[in-house]
Amino acid sequence: MIPLVTASGLTKNYGDLVAVAGIDFEIQEGECFGFLGPNGAGKTTTVRMIHCVSPVTSGTLTVGGLPASIDNRALKMMTGVIPQEINLDNDLTVQENLIIFARFFDIGRKEARARIAELLRFVELEAKAGSKISELSTGMKRRLLIARALINRPRLIVADEPTTGLDPQARHLIWQRLRQLKKQGTTLILTTQYMEEAQQLCDRIVVMYQGKILKEGVPARLVEDEIGKEVIEIRIPPEEDGKVLAELSAFPCAHERVGDTLYFYCRDGHALMRKLIELDLPNTLNRPATLEDVFLKLTGRSLHE
Amino acid sequence: MSLSYRIAYVFLRNLYSYKRFIVPTFLVSLVEPLFYLITFGVGMGAYMGAFGGKPYLHFLVPGVLVSAVMMSSSFECLYGTYIKIVHEKVYDSLIATPVSADEAVAGDIAWGSFRGLVSGTLMMTVALAMGVPPASVGGLVLLLVFLVFIGVLFGSLAMIVTSVAPSFDFFSYYTELVITPMLFFSGVFFPLDHFPPWMKTLAEFLPLTHAVRISRAVFTGEPAAGLGWSFAGLLVLAAVVFTISIRMMRKRLIK
Repeated sequence: MIPLVTASGLTKNYGDLVAVAGIDFEIQEGECFGFLGPNGAGKTTTVRMIHCVSPVTSGTLTVGGLPASIDNRALKMMTGVIPQEINLDNDLTVQENLIIFARFFDIGRKEARARIAELLRFVELEAKAGSKISELSTGMKRRLLIARALINRPRLIVADEPTTGLDPQARHLIWQRLRQLKKQGTTLILTTQYMEEAQQLCDRIVVMYQGKILKEGVPARLVEDEIGKEVIEIRIPPEEDGKVLAELSAFPCAHERVGDTLYFYCRDGHALMRKLIELDLPNTLNRPATLEDVFLKLTGRSLHE
Repeated sequence: MSLSYRIAYVFLRNLYSYKRFIVPTFLVSLVEPLFYLITFGVGMGAYMGAFGGKPYLHFLVPGVLVSAVMMSSSFECLYGTYIKIVHEKVYDSLIATPVSADEAVAGDIAWGSFRGLVSGTLMMTVALAMGVPPASVGGLVLLLVFLVFIGVLFGSLAMIVTSVAPSFDFFSYYTELVITPMLFFSGVFFPLDHFPPWMKTLAEFLPLTHAVRISRAVFTGEPAAGLGWSFAGLLVLAAVVFTISIRMMRKRLIK
């Protein structure tokens, strides 16, 4: 199968700053592909190049066989963008926002009205068609951004952190809608810092850090390969590490000390937990390994500012 | 440059967003020029006697009219555009669609020019009401067409300033150091005859000088010297400044 998006040696520099450092990836038609990474990893820069608003410094990037270059109208016609920042037109109503946007894509008035009615139903905003943007909650605004991104019936949707700042209800609604779109065959490219979001939506992810791709894979497999099945967190002072590690040396678990916590990564944590209960260690937590552990392992647990 | 009919979409977007406060914004853009006409024209004019055979108001109207166009289109492409880029992020959403950055900017310049034209038309109406008509109907129509180019010229100049503006405050350098002096050294309020030669030469480099000369000729019906050069010069300048402004804005918008 020919991939929808192909990047090879994709590089983006802002002056001396290397934002994306020669990355390679392929995104298949119909899949949900996630870019994960801390702030400044190069996720947004990468997707901005994919949807043709930021020029490629070097390397190649093609979408649907066409070079993703600035003002490539053919590509922009088939792409829907859900931006990170809410950039709805505050001077216009919900309905007008969509009418104007439809016009940008050369969609006629009659066709636009039909699509808008359908889209407002899809994002559950029918009742708000005549409302001003300032009257909407953040969740509604984010849903309207989705409706707006769908006005041209895109083949490819680029969603840059689409659920930032939302409460759980609003977030789940958006996840459901994005999954629905995927079901209809739309290709989805997602950037996120929420590991749960990536696990919920993505078929494949890449973890980016300092402009490079550190790992690529299927979320569940990545967790298993990098971390294991379970994580045990023991909060003891570092001085006691030696004693505890000696007691636990027989167990086939990797361990790591970060701040106030000693982490164990195990295929099966049960035996280790029993031992810990025997040792009577307080403040111990046993939980399933998540993508967040992979993320923190790969990008380090220190702050990225 | 990547320009197409999509410029009209951007213009339409502006029209949509302004329709709610179209009356107040257009009236506000009238207040300052009206203020000049009443204070200088009627108030001060009463002490000045005949000015080239006619009341001072007749001298003042053509200049104030083109300055109103200059003001409206400049302010739209300074503050209006800056808000759309930095605060409302309208440009971000625009350039993610098939509308190019060049079209987004050109659409805003067109909008600035339109607002200039509306100010100019309102001023013309006021002038007629005050008993200061243009010399002929043909001249009036030509003047209105000419105001579109004046709007493009000053809108584009303002756009160049906006393309490098780090903040809102930056605009006062342009309005205080360029626009306001231009208002006083372009023959809007008094003829340039008594200026020393170097100031006269300087005035010839100000686009408003030429715009005022053309506007005044339309009102008096007497062709002034070098009118054709003024006209051609302004058209060429408008084209050049428009091109530069698109290029500079592209640098700001596409990163």
